Amino acid sequence: MSKPILSVRNLHVKFTLRGRELHALRGIDLDVLDGESLAIVGESGSGKSVLNKNFIGLLDQNGFIPEGSIRYYGMGDKMRNYGTCAGEDENGPYVDLAAFRRKDEWLRIRGSEICMIPQDPMTSLNPLKTIGWQISEALRLHHGMTGRMAKEETLRILQDVRIDDPARRYKQYPHELSGGMRQRVVIAIAIACQPRILICDEPTTALDVTIQAQVLTLLRELKEKYHLTIIFITHDLGVVANIADRVAVMYAGDIVELGLVDEIFYEPKHPYTWALLSSLPQLGQRGEDLYAIRGTPPNLFKEVQGDAFAPRNPQALVIDKLEQPPYFEISPTHKARTWLLDPRAPKLEPPAVIAKLRELGGVRHGR
Amino acid sequence: MASYLVKRFLRSFITLIIILSIVFILVRQMPIDGYFQNFEKLNEAQIQNGLHEMGLDRPIFVQLFDFFKNLVLHGDLGTSRIYRAGVPVAEILAPKIPVSVRLGTLSLLVSLVLGLPMGLVMAKYKGRFLDHLGTAIIVLIEAVPAAVYYLFLQFYGTSALGIGMTMFSEADLHNPVYWILPVLSMSLGNMTYYAMWLRRYMVDESMKDYVTLARIKGASETRIMFLHVFKNAFVPMVQYIPTSFLNTVIGSIYVESLYSIPGMGGLLVDVVKRQDNAMVQAIVLLFATVGIIGLLLGDLLMVFMDPRISLAKKGGER
Repeated sequence: MSKPILSVRNLHVKFTLRGRELHALRGIDLDVLDGESLAIVGESGSGKSVLNKNFIGLLDQNGFIPEGSIRYYGMGDKMRNYGTCAGEDENGPYVDLAAFRRKDEWLRIRGSEICMIPQDPMTSLNPLKTIGWQISEALRLHHGMTGRMAKEETLRILQDVRIDDPARRYKQYPHELSGGMRQRVVIAIAIACQPRILICDEPTTALDVTIQAQVLTLLRELKEKYHLTIIFITHDLGVVANIADRVAVMYAGDIVELGLVDEIFYEPKHPYTWALLSSLPQLGQRGEDLYAIRGTPPNLFKEVQGDAFAPRNPQALVIDKLEQPPYFEISPTHKARTWLLDPRAPKLEPPAVIAKLRELGGVRHGR
Repeated sequence: MASYLVKRFLRSFITLIIILSIVFILVRQMPIDGYFQNFEKLNEAQIQNGLHEMGLDRPIFVQLFDFFKNLVLHGDLGTSRIYRAGVPVAEILAPKIPVSVRLGTLSLLVSLVLGLPMGLVMAKYKGRFLDHLGTAIIVLIEAVPAAVYYLFLQFYGTSALGIGMTMFSEADLHNPVYWILPVLSMSLGNMTYYAMWLRRYMVDESMKDYVTLARIKGASETRIMFLHVFKNAFVPMVQYIPTSFLNTVIGSIYVESLYSIPGMGGLLVDVVKRQDNAMVQAIVLLFATVGIIGLLLGDLLMVFMDPRISLAKKGGER
């Protein structure tokens, strides 16, 4: 197993909203391994975007980190510039992103170390600058390239993201391009930064299905070519099955289950993961309503008691409502936060549809 | 683009003819007593005689036709009858135009040079001290009637600069020091306007997704403000710059009279009151022309700044 490039420990994030505090992330522990593609899934409001915004210093103004650390190991010796934010542990020299206090500290991380593909390609490009300018800006910023050199490199990257006729596209403006094209340009900008970690925030939600598959294939190619570590934020389990090595399932600001993609799809342990998988449309029975999780996620303005999912779980145990479960290891790569894994717990079988998922060979397609 | 410009010029030409005709007809609807200084003492025959001399007794469309014929064939705008009796209108306006244009151009430049950086700084430090300071300045200038701070600037400014209150001589007119205060007075209003709107548009723009992407790219906040946000925020304002130039030229009545600047500021109101028809027509022609060119320039500037805007095609994405 490869070493972590990013290591999150006991990360808490709170937001101040009208005098009240919203506890958005409640003690996240997560290692992102060098070279992997990790999917973070969960419903809206589960905190997957908030978690990733911490990696790039784009937490909203009213958000703050009361405790926890985010150690980034990708900088090697360059970490020395970071004074008290830097250190060294068993994984090597690191920079603690959670300890950053000034905006300019992020300038050497953003883009060149950790980059992100934002959700909506339609609005993410500057409407008044040419495609070429916007891609080569990354080269100018991070690699000191100018003039001819920057242009040639930009044209090469445009080819890498499979944009035909790069010389013409170079001079065009975003409004002259289709949505899929623009998404490729956004990806090209990220590639031009040459980051170690690429965060893809719902990279395919705004695109239609045919383009979605192309973009995923492209990302897989680029990952190989540029040795990227990719974090996918998504609620599309199809994307997860298609591209991820590991999956982290988030619920109410916490990671409830983490494992290899096969472990999550075929041997899920947490009732929330069961519910999430059961709601896959592929598992629906003709003539029956699609499965939906009842209730709503807990109010994060209040402190959560016990297992956050218990109130929505019809089979919740008594202890679920009293005490937060610890992580139980199922395998070296698979852990889940549920009392069901305690030796004293009653043996509950996952819903029958999960077994069907195994028969179907998962929701994998296009690989 | 070229065919668009040709079409637009043709349309502008028609607009000009319509404006001139309307004004021509309107000024001739004014009571005839305005044409005579001692109307009460005149008898009917004398009045008719006077109107005949002025050519005002002919049918109005004949007069209109004659006016356009002289204008097009001879470039003749007619002669002033009251303002400076007997002098050709063109001769009266010729020396005044450059003076007003100079005042307008300078004050527009000053308001841009002061207003844009002010708005930029306010947007960058939104909610902080400099933003509040800027807001205070804007509120002060907007709230105090212009006439009050014009006088204030004149009284204290002229003594501070050690110059006379007004431009007494031809030499003063060519002395740049004398232009400082009128130009400043004229530019303050526009300056607050540009600062206020630029700040507002920049704050709006900096919420947009492309700014987030620039940030993700690793661009510094200063770079983002200058290279990404500024241009986007400036586009909606650029259209109005030529028009505000025009307004500055026309609206300089008070400043021109305060400093005795021999421009055209108050001229239009003056000649309308005195029923000097030829002068009215000439000034309206001038202002309308400048106005139409101003709007055209505004549109062209927009096209130049924003690739999404195309004048030749209908629609566009913006």
